[in-house]
Amino acid sequence: MIELQTVERVYGDGALGMRALQGVSLTVLSGEFVSIMGPSGSGKSTLLHLVSFLDTPTRGTYRFRGRDTATFSDAERAAIRNKEIGFVFQAFNLLGRMSVYENVELPLLYSSLHPEERRAAIEAAVLSVGLTEKLHLKANTLSGGEKQRVAIARALVCKPSIICADEPTGNLDSVSGAQVMEILRRLNEEGHTIILVTHETYTARYGRRLVTMKDGRIASDERVAGHASAGLSK
Amino acid sequence: MRIRDVIQTSWRGITQARARSLLTMLGIVIGITSVILLLSIGTSATKLLLNQVQGIGSNLIFIVPGATKGSRFSSPPSVQGVVVKTLTAQDTDALSREGSVLRTAPEVRGQAKVVFENNDTTVTFEGTTADFFLVRDLEIARGAAFKESDVLSFNRVAVIGGTIAKTLFGERDPVGKTIHQLGKEGIGPFGVDQDNLVIIPITVAQKQLLGIDYYNVLLIQAHPDYNISYVVSRVTSVFRQTHRITDPSKDDFTVRTQEDALSLLGDITSIMTVFLTAVASISLLVGGIGIMNIMLVAVAERTREIGLRKALGANSRDITEQFLLEAVMLTSMGGVVGILLGSSLVVLLYFILSRVLPTGWFFALPPTAIFLAVAVAALTGILFGIYPARQAAKKDPIEALRYE
Ligand SMILES: Nc1ncnc2c1ncn2[C@@H]1O[C@H](COP(=O)(O)OP(=O)(O)O)[C@@H](O)[C@H]1O
Ligand SMILES: [Mg+2]
Repeated sequence: MIELQTVERVYGDGALGMRALQGVSLTVLSGEFVSIMGPSGSGKSTLLHLVSFLDTPTRGTYRFRGRDTATFSDAERAAIRNKEIGFVFQAFNLLGRMSVYENVELPLLYSSLHPEERRAAIEAAVLSVGLTEKLHLKANTLSGGEKQRVAIARALVCKPSIICADEPTGNLDSVSGAQVMEILRRLNEEGHTIILVTHETYTARYGRRLVTMKDGRIASDERVAGHASAGLSK
Repeated sequence: MRIRDVIQTSWRGITQARARSLLTMLGIVIGITSVILLLSIGTSATKLLLNQVQGIGSNLIFIVPGATKGSRFSSPPSVQGVVVKTLTAQDTDALSREGSVLRTAPEVRGQAKVVFENNDTTVTFEGTTADFFLVRDLEIARGAAFKESDVLSFNRVAVIGGTIAKTLFGERDPVGKTIHQLGKEGIGPFGVDQDNLVIIPITVAQKQLLGIDYYNVLLIQAHPDYNISYVVSRVTSVFRQTHRITDPSKDDFTVRTQEDALSLLGDITSIMTVFLTAVASISLLVGGIGIMNIMLVAVAERTREIGLRKALGANSRDITEQFLLEAVMLTSMGGVVGILLGSSLVVLLYFILSRVLPTGWFFALPPTAIFLAVAVAALTGILFGIYPARQAAKKDPIEALRYE
């Protein structure tokens, strides 16, 4: 469902431009759990931002569900970010003065879901990350692990098929990190496509496919041993 | 995005930064308050002026010596201080034979210092005939007006205005007292408040005080059975006959009616309204620029929030709507506060001015002013909110989320 072909991303312009991605080709099938690893500055975040429509390639083509994304309008791209792809940030990015409920509600404000169905959707998403008791607490009163779980619930609430997570455990202790990874694993088992950026080997091992990057290029792309790869489709 | 969600989101944006929101509103509050105040003062002043013109009697025609050149805003030479001696007893005699004229009262004016015991004051005196009191429909508070016999026999009597009575006599009854006159001064300007007037027989004024035999003004009261413009044309032709004028462009007098004065006043007040509106617009403009400034700061402060919303599926239009609505809500609330504050000040002003001003003051809070204020406040929000809102919508989610 995601096809990148010799994609480049250059920050700034001309000869001085920073070439963060230098010809990346990557295909991700529906239902996959892909881990992307690589040293800092190798272009992992840049790649993930392109995939999740937060950014656009400077060169190359990105086909999403078989359609070339180059012609997508601002509104179309926003709608895909809303309904098709949930994004989990390293820094959580919750609105601290709002409750868990309100944070999870945010994407629904921009969706076409009827307001009466919101509560059920929010409660289901919060339940799936195990934070039902904290539903009405302010986000800034939660621990880091809880915040990241709220962020996952927020990414889930519009029932996207794809979840992109950029170092979701980077700011967490190992116990909370493991909890977050278990949730992502379960979501993958439930059919979500997961694309995970990490620089921790043990976190990357949750994925069934490991892509490594170096200097804006894909250095390797392989199945992770011990994981089945059945049930994938374009 | 649904309307309700936009409203809720914008409202949250406003309430989460109270100090900033109040500051933003302040500019509009001041602007709207001044709009209300200015429009109210304009309306009251207009009413006051109209009332004064209408209060000098009814069916009045004024004849002033000398022709008026130029537009109807120009005044005849006699009013500008040039001495014109063409209005005389011949004219009043001729007018007394004209059936469409009910009464005529000639007037001469001068200034003099009047004295009673140790008190003195400089006054404008007006020499006229007994008919003047009927033409001008003046009421005598105490004592009586002088009679035609007083005029004919040069009796030294005077009807004095309330302010002068107070200055000269204090709490004592002025009726029957004698006031003295010290050296006379030049002819004063047109139109004096009647509380400051001394009215004396025209014979005394002309022969004994001023030493002249012409009039400054003729006041004519048209016969109520005739149409005023007909009377004007009759009076004009009587004057041309008496003055032996065949060519109307060589008229040596000017005929003005109360209607002329009223319509001139209408023009003056509409100019005043335009001026006040301009002043109010400037204060709103300043308020609007303040709003734009503070909204831009708000947009910068909330860069991360904007980026997040975009990342979660908000498109540029959603963001524009949110910030535009915030601006409009702020200015509308500012507008409402401004209306309340402005109205209170109008009421306060009414109580103060109606006591302080001898002419009184009119209470005016025109509904159009209030309607205009609300519309203008909302419009200011749109006008000055659109740029910051666009700036917000243009933000790139990645850059915005990186922003600390
Ligand atoms: N907005 C930007 N402007 C300029 N350079 C950038 C920008 N974002 C990222 N880069 C650069 O692009 C390269 C790749 O960055 P990034 O994708 O964030 O790497 P990673 O996530 O693998 O650490 C880095 O060298 C980084 O400095
Ligand atoms: Mg990164």
